[in-house]
Amino acid sequence: MLSTIFAVLFYLATAIFVVGLAYRIRLYATTPAPLKIPTTPAPVTRSGVVARLFREVAFFESLFNSNKWTWLFGWVFHFAMLLVVLRHLRYFTEPVWFWVNWVQPFGKYAGFAMLAGLLALWGRRFLVERVRYISGPSDHLMLVLLIGIAGSGLMMKYVAHTDIVALKAFSLGLIHFNWQPLPADPVLLVHLGLVLVLAFVFPFSKLLHAPGVFFSPSRNQVDNPREKRHLAPWAAALDGDRSQGGSE
Amino acid sequence: MADFDTLKINPLFEIPALEKGAMKDLSPFVAAPNHQEDLGFPGELVDDWQTKAIEKFGELLKKSRALRVYMDGCVKCGACTDKCHYFLGTADPINMPVARQDLLRKIYRRYFTFAGKYFPKLVGAEDLTREVLDEWYSYYHQCSQCRRCSVFCPYGLDTAEISMAAREIMDHVGKGQKYCNEILGKVHKIGNNLGLPEPALIDTLEGLEEDIEEETGVEVKLPVNQKGADILLVTPSADFFAEPHVDGLIGYAKVFHQAGVSWTLSSYASEAANFAMFIGSYEQMKKVAERIRKAAEDLAVKRIIFGECGHAWRVAYSFMNTLAGPFDFLDPAYPVPQHICEFTLDLIEKGELNLDKSANDHMTLTFHDSCNVARGSRMGPTPGGQFEIPRAIVRAVCNNFVDMAADTIHESTFCCGGGGGLLTDDLMEIRVKGASPRMTALQEVVEEHGVTHMVAICAICKSQFSKVMPKYGIGMDRIVSLHQLVSNAIILDGQIGTEPDEETETDTSEDVATA
Amino acid sequence: MAYELNGKTFEADEEGYLVDISAWNEDLAVLIAEDENIEMSDDAWEVVNFLREYYEEYQIAPAVRVLTKAIKKKLGADKGNSKYLYELFPYGPAKQACKIAGLPKPTGCI
Repeated sequence: MLSTIFAVLFYLATAIFVVGLAYRIRLYATTPAPLKIPTTPAPVTRSGVVARLFREVAFFESLFNSNKWTWLFGWVFHFAMLLVVLRHLRYFTEPVWFWVNWVQPFGKYAGFAMLAGLLALWGRRFLVERVRYISGPSDHLMLVLLIGIAGSGLMMKYVAHTDIVALKAFSLGLIHFNWQPLPADPVLLVHLGLVLVLAFVFPFSKLLHAPGVFFSPSRNQVDNPREKRHLAPWAAALDGDRSQGGSE
Repeated sequence: MADFDTLKINPLFEIPALEKGAMKDLSPFVAAPNHQEDLGFPGELVDDWQTKAIEKFGELLKKSRALRVYMDGCVKCGACTDKCHYFLGTADPINMPVARQDLLRKIYRRYFTFAGKYFPKLVGAEDLTREVLDEWYSYYHQCSQCRRCSVFCPYGLDTAEISMAAREIMDHVGKGQKYCNEILGKVHKIGNNLGLPEPALIDTLEGLEEDIEEETGVEVKLPVNQKGADILLVTPSADFFAEPHVDGLIGYAKVFHQAGVSWTLSSYASEAANFAMFIGSYEQMKKVAERIRKAAEDLAVKRIIFGECGHAWRVAYSFMNTLAGPFDFLDPAYPVPQHICEFTLDLIEKGELNLDKSANDHMTLTFHDSCNVARGSRMGPTPGGQFEIPRAIVRAVCNNFVDMAADTIHESTFCCGGGGGLLTDDLMEIRVKGASPRMTALQEVVEEHGVTHMVAICAICKSQFSKVMPKYGIGMDRIVSLHQLVSNAIILDGQIGTEPDEETETDTSEDVATA
Repeated sequence: MAYELNGKTFEADEEGYLVDISAWNEDLAVLIAEDENIEMSDDAWEVVNFLREYYEEYQIAPAVRVLTKAIKKKLGADKGNSKYLYELFPYGPAKQACKIAGLPKPTGCI
């Protein structure tokens, strides 16, 4: 019974996550950007823009320039989470991809860094007056959710081990439509339950900043308006018969 | 206006503790019905304004990726909260960029998102009420659209885009701002923000020709509507009207004269400014930009050069090709358009200007990066040219130049406090308070390096500073035009006297800029 | 807002600029000036009168340079400068003197 419920929920969550996110990304991609609005100085070539976005995504460049503490906590959280997620691939692959094994030793400790980053970010929401003012219930709940996921994960890793072999059989069963029982370990159920919630809310929440950053015109546009005419389709219609030149 | 007459300069850039509601009662005059109708907007607030506002909002979300992404993308990290000059100057929490954005975002969530429709309290979604509309009107007119917050946002979320959208929505339900909309009406009718008709323009320019000849003995022309000239100069109409702007205009004229190029102004497009950007209207912005295209076609010029105007240069550099292009009828050897600074520096580098730096020796200068130039445009071929080119000119014409603190210049520059359609007397309180970060940075170089004057390349900055600097104990004549310095230093062929024996009015060598 | 003078009402906009510029007269100018805390000296009248003459010809207030030059001709070099004009009209000769002269407020980046 429990296994069935979780199995169904996992499929549902995956579907909502993938479809919801795909819908959103499609919306961002198809909505035209009528004007060139990169925040300058901006790269003058496409490859320059790729480099700019890479610096934003990999190093949080703008945040670094803005606030060193927020940058530190945010960067530690995100990259620890990345390591943790990569480490979790071992539960979905058989045989485990070789590079996932390389990540494993780092991923184990990254869980602590992730939790520390999250707690520090949450602390800011109470301790810094300006950040407290702008924090709404959903901002707190999102952190609680992530803290719950990280905390329960660490519990299983370091305090109350769960039956990892059975869990892996369950997750591989989900992938291969050959359903296996889920260990009825309360900490595991909390952990998985919270992950399900995260997947459900992702496409409807501020977590959309993840795909959004790639579509932000102030960061992803090339600074070449004098050289190349940029024109959105709806704006071209205003040109009458004069219109030519393409949009990006 | 009495309570903010004696402002103290904050020496440490302290981030203020929040004062809720500090600025909630400040909002600009509402446009009169005729100002609205001249632009095709409803004369006054329409009966079903909620429905109309949501409709317009929906339309904008479909038309602008920026708006769509910026509505979704904020994680409330707080990176922007101490970046806005209006927040730093007023301590009103809604003047924190994220909170200003949230005024629109809460409506977006309520009407356009699943979470806001079903869990409004959880995600801070709200119904569009009269209170919200009044809040919009107040706080979206306390944003100068300077984009400083966007520089520091990890996703580049740009409050300027959001405040433009909000103003566009308000215009469409009949609640426009008097200052911007009245002015746009004048541009459509007369060709410039002032409402300066052709005969007055010609009279004014003739007066300037007399002045230059009196000063230099050289006959320098300021031609209007001269068909077949090589260059069309488009400059803010404040350059014809106000000080120190006009000294900059004289500088352009001298540079063109010395370069031996033929140039002209246009009475039809006698305005570089395009206030339609401030109200977020693509259609209005296009209409104003098309005037410049038409003038260039009618006068059969080969190049277009813009004078010193910040937001005008953003529209010109970043948008004009989109709005009124393609400009394939102009000489492809030159970028369209060019900035006067690009033109002047090029001449300086070629050694074609005879410059006497000592003419500016009575001043120690610093340069104020105008927000729209710094963060919304470029000069020259490489990123950052908008910072280097004007400074290179200052250094070429002055011996004494010092930059202000690094976190207050270049892309981190602080707005003068009067941009984005806020340069109006009814918003004087926010203008004065919003200038405080810039004033702090200026005061620092005044004290440490004996700076006497600040240079700007934006008509709004110049007017704003000459108005608000006295509130900080700095003389109104301490703000100068960049091409005013060029004008002082340039020695025209055949100019009388080798030493510049006559100083211009603003060059008073009295007390330094501190009180 | 509006001005009351000798039992007559003169409509003005939010900032005190006359709506109907033809309704202007000298008594009204004195009244508007009082509102602005300005005493109408002979020199102030020279400025106001020049503004009205210029406006009549060009439908716009004169540029600052045009005004200072005209005042220089009329009142001499020591008064033909913007510093003196700001002494007469502390809130700026263009805006404040226009209001007293019954002319529309100059608009734009000024």
